Amino acid sequence: HRLSIFDRQPFRLYIFPKYYYIFVIANKLCKVFFFFYCMQHVLFPGEIVVNEVNFVRKCINNENGHDDLWGKLICTNFKVSFIPQEDPPKQNAHLSHLLLAEHDVALTCLDQVVTVNDAKGKKKVLGSNQKLKFNPTELILYCKDLRIIRFCFDEAGPESAKKVCLAIAHYAHPADLHLLFGFEYQGRRYHERKGLAKILKTAAEINESMPRMSPQTPVYDCPSDWDREIKRTGATEWRVCSINERYNVSQSLPEYIVVPASLADQDLRQFANCYSDNRIPLWCWNHPNGSALVRMCNVADPIAQKKFEQRIFNAITKSHPTCSEVIKLDLEKSLPNILDIQSAFCKFRQSCVIDPFEESEERWFSCIENSRWLEYVRAFLKQSAEIVFLMEVKSVSVVITEEEDRDLNCAVSSLVQLMLDPHYRSLSGFQSLVQKEWVMAGHRFLDRCNHLKRNDKEECPLFLLFLDCVWQMINQYPAAFEFTETYLTVLSDSMWIPVHGTFLFNSCLQRTQHLTEFAKTKAIPPGEDQSVYFPPVWEWSQQFSAKEQTLFNNPMYVGKSVARVQNGEVKTFKRTKKAYSASVKGSPASVVNGLRDGEGTLSRRVSFMSELKPEFSSVKDVVESPSERFFRDWFSRPFDQQGLLLPLLLPSHIAVWKLFFLRWVPEACIPKGGTVTAYHKLCQLVDEIEMLQCQLKHYKGPSPCITPEPSPCKPHSVQRRMYFNACSADESPSLPDFLTSSFPFTPVGNLCRRSTLGTPITKFLNGAKIWLSTETLNDTV
Amino acid sequence: MEKSGSIDSLGSKRSSSRQPSVDSLSSSSTSRSDRSAQIKAHSSESTSTEFSPERVKPKAAAKHIPRESDKQEPQLLPNETVQDVAKDVTYFCPFGGALRGTVIVTNYRLFFKCMDREPAFVLDLPLAVLSRVEKIGNASTRGDVSYGMVCKDMRNLRFAHKHMDDTLRKSIFEVLMKFAFPVSNGLQIFALQYGQVFPENGWKVYDALTEYKRQGIPNESWRITKVNDHYELCDTYPSTLAVPVNIPDEEIRRVAAFRAKGRIPVLSWIHPESQATITRCSQPMVGVNGKRSKEDEKYLQSIMDANAQSHKLFIFDARPSVNAAANKVYLKGGGYESEDAYQNAELVFLDIHNIHVMRESLRKLKDVVYPNIEDSHWLSNLESTHWLEHIKLIMAGALRIADKVESGKTSVVVHCSDGWDRTCQLTSLAMLMLDGYYRTIRGFEVLLEKEWLSFGHRFQTRIGHGDKNHTDADRSPVFIQFIDCVWQLTRQFPAAFEFNEYFLVTILDHLYSCLFGTFLCNSEQHRMKEDIPKKTVSLWSYVNSQVEDFTNPLYVNYSNHVLFPVVSLRHLELWVGYYIRWNPRMRPQEPVHQRYKELLAKRAELQRRVEELQREVTNRSASSSSERAGSPTRSITPVQTFI
Repeated sequence: HRLSIFDRQPFRLYIFPKYYYIFVIANKLCKVFFFFYCMQHVLFPGEIVVNEVNFVRKCINNENGHDDLWGKLICTNFKVSFIPQEDPPKQNAHLSHLLLAEHDVALTCLDQVVTVNDAKGKKKVLGSNQKLKFNPTELILYCKDLRIIRFCFDEAGPESAKKVCLAIAHYAHPADLHLLFGFEYQGRRYHERKGLAKILKTAAEINESMPRMSPQTPVYDCPSDWDREIKRTGATEWRVCSINERYNVSQSLPEYIVVPASLADQDLRQFANCYSDNRIPLWCWNHPNGSALVRMCNVADPIAQKKFEQRIFNAITKSHPTCSEVIKLDLEKSLPNILDIQSAFCKFRQSCVIDPFEESEERWFSCIENSRWLEYVRAFLKQSAEIVFLMEVKSVSVVITEEEDRDLNCAVSSLVQLMLDPHYRSLSGFQSLVQKEWVMAGHRFLDRCNHLKRNDKEECPLFLLFLDCVWQMINQYPAAFEFTETYLTVLSDSMWIPVHGTFLFNSCLQRTQHLTEFAKTKAIPPGEDQSVYFPPVWEWSQQFSAKEQTLFNNPMYVGKSVARVQNGEVKTFKRTKKAYSASVKGSPASVVNGLRDGEGTLSRRVSFMSELKPEFSSVKDVVESPSERFFRDWFSRPFDQQGLLLPLLLPSHIAVWKLFFLRWVPEACIPKGGTVTAYHKLCQLVDEIEMLQCQLKHYKGPSPCITPEPSPCKPHSVQRRMYFNACSADESPSLPDFLTSSFPFTPVGNLCRRSTLGTPITKFLNGAKIWLSTETLNDTV
Repeated sequence: MEKSGSIDSLGSKRSSSRQPSVDSLSSSSTSRSDRSAQIKAHSSESTSTEFSPERVKPKAAAKHIPRESDKQEPQLLPNETVQDVAKDVTYFCPFGGALRGTVIVTNYRLFFKCMDREPAFVLDLPLAVLSRVEKIGNASTRGDVSYGMVCKDMRNLRFAHKHMDDTLRKSIFEVLMKFAFPVSNGLQIFALQYGQVFPENGWKVYDALTEYKRQGIPNESWRITKVNDHYELCDTYPSTLAVPVNIPDEEIRRVAAFRAKGRIPVLSWIHPESQATITRCSQPMVGVNGKRSKEDEKYLQSIMDANAQSHKLFIFDARPSVNAAANKVYLKGGGYESEDAYQNAELVFLDIHNIHVMRESLRKLKDVVYPNIEDSHWLSNLESTHWLEHIKLIMAGALRIADKVESGKTSVVVHCSDGWDRTCQLTSLAMLMLDGYYRTIRGFEVLLEKEWLSFGHRFQTRIGHGDKNHTDADRSPVFIQFIDCVWQLTRQFPAAFEFNEYFLVTILDHLYSCLFGTFLCNSEQHRMKEDIPKKTVSLWSYVNSQVEDFTNPLYVNYSNHVLFPVVSLRHLELWVGYYIRWNPRMRPQEPVHQRYKELLAKRAELQRRVEELQREVTNRSASSSSERAGSPTRSITPVQTFI
């Protein structure tokens, strides 16, 4: 089953025919290699088995337990793996991951490892290097992707069961970042590829033609990426500055940053001193009207603040075409902090996946409200929309500040850009946005993800909160984003698979240090590009086959003929500008809204904005801020999918992201239903359209009637962009059985909260009202 | 990966989804998109003066009126006449503040326009939607007379005008009250005057015999009886009934005596394969003494026997068990079937509350959503209305019924007290889940005609058409709840229904509008007596004359697709497109449908171009092959779709 995936995956045939033979050979070698893995329970380069136990029962959600699976539980230095004795009935529903099989969990994904002895009524949350004074009868794994997996050891050897549990707990708490599996894996992988290249003596070619990232995603580690962004947004009065090369100035900033053109390096060095960690204010983005979005940390010293801040603000003003003022917004005043968000997430997770389904059903809405998660989602969207108003309508530059400029600012600046700039709503645009505003800006992914499980107080799902905000916008504007909610979910899950360089580090400096060290120990020649030997998450072919990656594509997406930067060429500025002006004027003749009667809606909604008649103002006070008025006005008009996009902020329109939060809950899974049924149909239609376009291209090619060779557009030779392909006309429409509201995930076997009724474990699990945490549970040993 | 922007290059082609037979000259209906239609239908606050039915005038009747004048005057329906006009009236818009303008009252509508604004502000609604009109305060407040209006469609309106100097002249709102409540004022309901002719005749949509025939009735176990031909067996039932073959009419009469209001168990739906059935009735009159009826017991036994697959019969009592028990004492000896008397029957209570609880719940919901939604406690406020909890219980009941019939292959009997409120909800929802036919537009019309209208859901009483007695305890949003449940189903199965959200909103709007005869009266007998089908227009005439507006483009008619929704608050949502539609801060959403239609248009365009090229190629290759004999030309085959 896995072999077949591999078969499809590793080298897609986009490459020039000239290199084709290399890939045929490479592919064959890989297959041989892979066969070898299979013998050893699918081990990857650098992966070793730490411990294993046989005759383990994996609980599948079922009261009587007769669907439970028997098999072998293995702990490696990468994952916890369960290998069923017999292959369970084949499931098409499963999104197959190239590194993790259906029953596997990466160690980094483990949140809590809990051992239980049912008979003795004992339980223990296991940490690293701990002892266990009872023989566990059960092991419960609480995962960061919200799965809960339970294994029973009723038939397994008690000692070996214990050993496996301890091993899992130990390896889930790595003492050092270097011990994360990615370092071993990528090192081996690099040399394997190089080795292969050597055999073929075409190293350079291989390197070159190996697709680095599916759509080229700039990672902003070089001045040219920033330059392109400056040009694309028309930020002519801003420049790339390299004073932080080799991290000479700040440890948390990237090497290259963008600053007002009027500030010299000398000034910047001087200003830097007054910011924590010398974080000079960072340019994020420019509106076509010239207003800029800038982020910075709070200045600790008030005297220094007065002195320097004014000069910086003056410089920002100078960079504005109309020298408009600068507005400074302290995000900490309007948004929840790290602890608030973490606590909201825990409560939200509790309601979604831990509380028994029927029990939480009664008070579902108040539980959701009490968790405050949706309230925070709304707060971030609202704050971002306010900034959009300032930049779009008031044409002022906005500086967002936060104590360290490494958390809230990341989320808000990205959301503002998503709302204002359609480029970031494309797949590669979105990836570059995350790269720019999160990874490069120094969001502490290592601490916030708590990969080393050292400090729970630093843990915070801020990035997930941001993804949820993006999802809200996708949910409200399903045709405006090139990617799907599946993509967002998978992106979030990727945080817990430690083989990408994206989510492992707190800053660029930290990444560089670790990767340089890593390169040294793994004998990778200096000068090799980091993203070659330690690829970012954006290289999706590491995780998914080309077919699975098509799940990322939104069939409804209304793209422009595309605003993409290629080979350093910038062609899109003018077009972007046009799109904006359209959105400002609400031109109803936009492509998307062509069918809509613009005027009718326009006038209807505008009419609400009427001012108060003085004599009645006492009767009914309708106080509306200018931004509210702007939002309302905007909602009253048809909008351009490629223009400004504002989220609906009524609390009734902020929804629970069901695919993410409820995908593992069997009771919440709608069989043959959910939005995926619409997605299925849309994919088929779009696929049909693309085939027709392909045919047209074929006809328009050089006199087709004279070249009766096999058409290049024969479906099998084309990488289809849609996951579901059109069915032929004579086929009766049928809905694949595996489509559920959880698609492409499957809740079967992933969440198991109840065992047979009445046993102590049930009471324990039902009684434990919080996601077990080491602080709140007293060890019984 | 290929660039994905390409899809769009042709998307700009405007696809005209307009139905050719439908006139588009009237008022400002320049667009037929789902979205704009949705906004406009019955929108209260709009510069578009139209109320949907006006748009479907036959060509002959249409006059082209310039846009400017549209804004000045409402476009009157056939037989609609202006009753009064008043200038300098103030409308207090809860979203935008006070507006001063002119009010026009006709025998059908309330029309307000404010020309001070650019663009003009217009409010246009059928008078029948008003449930209560009251003078607020006194003339003492600066000489103003203020009127508050409570509407049945989740909004309130407030107007004021200067105190009349000319005391002889009636206030316009007194005129309005007269026409808003015609029944109370001895006037005719407007539906009886509205004489619009549509290309389709909606009264012909449902024919009981045809529908039973579609289900395969009569068959060896079920027969059609004429025992109620003149409504003498049961005056709230239809004249055509399907009953077990082996029960003669005389026995049926005795069963009727044992069932409340004579509403005997009759067939609603039969499973085409297993022959398991859904039957409906009212409660048995067991009373405190536990009376029994041999005939009734035999009758239920034969319902069970008609299904060879199962030796059990489920009786679903929609009520909470406490209420069912209370019925024995308080309500003329009602109650429920005892399992002792009915061998092989299992009784299940579905815990759905009565009409009064539902009315109260909707009232609370209105408080929470209109005019403004409180930012901070939205979800707990919503929870405190219990509206979605009630929706959940109804859907859960229907799901259990559908599951018993489909998975358990067991016949079920459904009843509540009288069998005309909760029973309608349950049988029709279960039938929607089980039978794809009812998920088409026409099928849904049939479902409503059958399970609701012919079986005597008391629309007149529950809605109170034209009746000013707004405190009437018999009013209840039972039907709205049902439509809400249907909407919930469409959310969970977006490709399983032929109709769209606009269709459901339209049905609810015309539930109140009194423009069509469909929802008038309480029973089939009543409608026949009043000659409603002759004297009024059916809502389905209007709908079926422009079906395209109501069509869900994503609809796929999957065969044997039984819907098993997840009945959990996690998936139930407040229907914002209906309950919150007056809020200008919400954008009506149907972009998926919109986008799908654009893509369909694009496919058509591409297909056309491919075909053209094919023809060209064939011609060319024909000529070239005559030149170069033997060269194969068949390489290009017309391809519509690929596998």
